[in-house]
Amino acid sequence: MGKRTLIIYVVITLFVCIFAVMSGYSQEDVTTVEDSAFEEKMRPTVQFLHDEHNEAAGLEECDVCHHVYKDGEKIEDESSEETECSECHTLNKGDNPLSLVKVYHLQCKGCHQKEKAGPIMCSECHPR
Amino acid sequence: MHDVYNFVSGPLVWVSFIIFFGGCLYRLISMAVLAKKKDVFVYEYMSFKYGLRSIFHWIIPFGTVKWRKNPILTIVTFTFHICLILVPIFLCAHVILWKESWDIGWWYFSDTTADILTGIVIACCVFFLIRRIVLPEVKYLTSVSDYVILAMVAAPFITGFWTYHQWPGCKITGIVHIIAGEIMLAAIPFTRLIHMVYFPFTRGYMGSEFGAVRNAKDW
Repeated sequence: MGKRTLIIYVVITLFVCIFAVMSGYSQEDVTTVEDSAFEEKMRPTVQFLHDEHNEAAGLEECDVCHHVYKDGEKIEDESSEETECSECHTLNKGDNPLSLVKVYHLQCKGCHQKEKAGPIMCSECHPR
Repeated sequence: MHDVYNFVSGPLVWVSFIIFFGGCLYRLISMAVLAKKKDVFVYEYMSFKYGLRSIFHWIIPFGTVKWRKNPILTIVTFTFHICLILVPIFLCAHVILWKESWDIGWWYFSDTTADILTGIVIACCVFFLIRRIVLPEVKYLTSVSDYVILAMVAAPFITGFWTYHQWPGCKITGIVHIIAGEIMLAAIPFTRLIHMVYFPFTRGYMGSEFGAVRNAKDW
């Protein structure tokens, strides 16, 4: 193997490694609950480790949380991962954000209360 | 923790509200019946005009001679009662709980405002405590129940303050806070906290007797 060939091999290997590492990071983990509809936050953003949560909760199906409702009926086998909650649970500009707060609380706290697992008290999700 | 939280924030809330409203209604009716039986003149002398005149004067800070004679107590007691009623009703976290359970909501204080008002309530409770210990004329009239009632009223505010600031043990104080609030609510009809619902009648009657019978103001 000539010196030239070796250099080419090393360069290619390096690129492959960098590409592999980059692609691993490009799918960013979800670590918080964010919604652009909350303009002014009274409390800091809620920390939420998506994958760890689902593993701990034994959740396989996306639509358990990312549900789709039509005419008050949950549509089975349809999910809404790419949709912000506030897109359906709408909040008009300048509105009191309570109605959106409510759906988030019922989604998280409601399930935790039912399943008797996970945070339910204010400080557990909203640390100061 | 989940079972405890679900219990104190569910069934126990119902129990305390039912005792509060039912108890107040019972106390009002039984007092009315007792007055009819034993002191029928209450009904004879009760005057709408003089009753309202008295209530109006006493509900305004420095609106009576008694209030003007004790300016510090007047300021503290008015501040205390106003904050005591407003904070629990207009606290953001409480409004959110109403929204979650009943889908009803209303205006609320900012957290900072509520925090300050809660501090004021606690400070007023400390004032009342010191007043009971220090002033001889108050000490003479003080029994254990006065301290118990004061502690019962202060407890939800102290635990709420602690929980809000997320100081150590705030999960426990959160639970204690809920229970303390329920105890206070349920205790209102059966302790001297009943003055909350009796005051229009007691004040109204005093005003009536002074105004209509003695032709004088009630100072």
